[in-house]
Amino acid sequence: MAEKKYTKEHEWVEVDGDTATVGITNHAQESLGDIVFIDLPTVGKEVKSNEELCVIESVKAASDIYAPIDGEVIEINNNLNDDASIVNQDPEKDGWIFKMKIADPNQYNNLMSLDEYLASLEN
Amino acid sequence: MSDKALKNIFLNEFHLEYGAKFVPFAGYEMPINYKKGIINEHLHVREKAGIFDVSHMGQILIPSTDKNISSLEIYIPLNIKKIKSNKCHYSFILNKKGGIVDDIMISKININNQENIYIVYNASRKKILNEIFSNICENYSILKNRCLIAIQGPSSYSVLSSFIDLSKIVNFLDINIFEFDNTDIYISRSGYTGEDGFEISISNESAENFVNKVYKIENTLLCGLGCRDSLRVEAGLSLYGNEINEDITPIQANLSWALDKKRLKNGNLNGSNILLQQLQETKDTLKVGITPVNKTMLRNNMILHNKDKNEIGYITSGCFSPILKRSIGIGYINNFTNKLDKIFVKVRGEFEEVIIDNIPFVKKNYKKGG
Repeated sequence: MAEKKYTKEHEWVEVDGDTATVGITNHAQESLGDIVFIDLPTVGKEVKSNEELCVIESVKAASDIYAPIDGEVIEINNNLNDDASIVNQDPEKDGWIFKMKIADPNQYNNLMSLDEYLASLEN
Repeated sequence: MSDKALKNIFLNEFHLEYGAKFVPFAGYEMPINYKKGIINEHLHVREKAGIFDVSHMGQILIPSTDKNISSLEIYIPLNIKKIKSNKCHYSFILNKKGGIVDDIMISKININNQENIYIVYNASRKKILNEIFSNICENYSILKNRCLIAIQGPSSYSVLSSFIDLSKIVNFLDINIFEFDNTDIYISRSGYTGEDGFEISISNESAENFVNKVYKIENTLLCGLGCRDSLRVEAGLSLYGNEINEDITPIQANLSWALDKKRLKNGNLNGSNILLQQLQETKDTLKVGITPVNKTMLRNNMILHNKDKNEIGYITSGCFSPILKRSIGIGYINNFTNKLDKIFVKVRGEFEEVIIDNIPFVKKNYKKGG
């Protein structure tokens, strides 16, 4: 499995072969607060990077989740339908949100490394 | 408004120290929640007791003279002369159309042998209300140097009575003067959560000492404005800017119970003709509770539609209910009939079915007949 990469929209992306698993960062879940509902994307949906893909509803507000790269949604984390707070408890593992089939591997390589992401939070 | 223009409440640093997360609200930097988060704070208030700092709200003392009373009665639909001392009333400041400039808590309390009218009002309406008070009242004092602390929840009586004798305020809406740190504090048995509770007006100098004392008592938790909002929506209570505003009368907002109906007839009250007429007409707009059929989140200002997808109303407050573990909403429906068939709310372009529900969503737990 390749290195985990990050987006400026506070998502993490982990690649295994041609599949990318996507979730939100610990920093994102902390600033969202209690997550109560996730409007998960439809499996089979094809998206371009930066397109709105699904919505996370916290007690405070609704936040869009964007596709980090081009591709097709091939799986969603149905556990989040029963308990969206998994994203608060374990955002970077059990709280993964969806998996995509990667259209262009170069896009993944252009995302931020952990160090770059953490540095971006400082600004 | 830029962040620089935001004001701090007096205990700002105290809240920071206790892990508050701040948001701008009505011109103030206010705690929205502390470390445990909004849902835990909400449930704590329903089960035990929460401590809220609502010092952003307006507080004013107005000497209870005939002149001040008749001036206030032009704006406030109560017989202020006749209201008894030491009892709070929920009321309004009305404009000439009978619209709600603000909703208020008003009472008469005796301070230094002088009977005063004590009014608590919304932070977001301070500017406009202070202007009205300054135009019509004499010798008033806006209480800028007092904090307002709320203790809310079924344990709040045992918490507060552990160091203050509360025998003078045994019922909901009682208010009286007490002593703490050798200064006067005003405590009303009231709140904005649907639970038994207290609101304490206390001088800035004694406020930290007071909050610290309450905080150290078992069963209490510091709570922010986040759960204050979800608690009041569950309890079906109105908020200025959401359910009520200058274009909505108390009757349209389903709050006619709070009007002294006799005041509508004898004139000298802003909008009394309009209010009287509305009271006699069948209401065409209804304030309702709203529950989504499927899993979705209702939010403020979402539009309600009938089965033909025509607009029939809107949601004034939508949130997640930690007690019901689903979304709840309050809204207005125009031309309400029971034959509405299905109702939908538009959520991000999609029509989601909702049903009309009763308000309050959670039974009120006020202290009566104590």
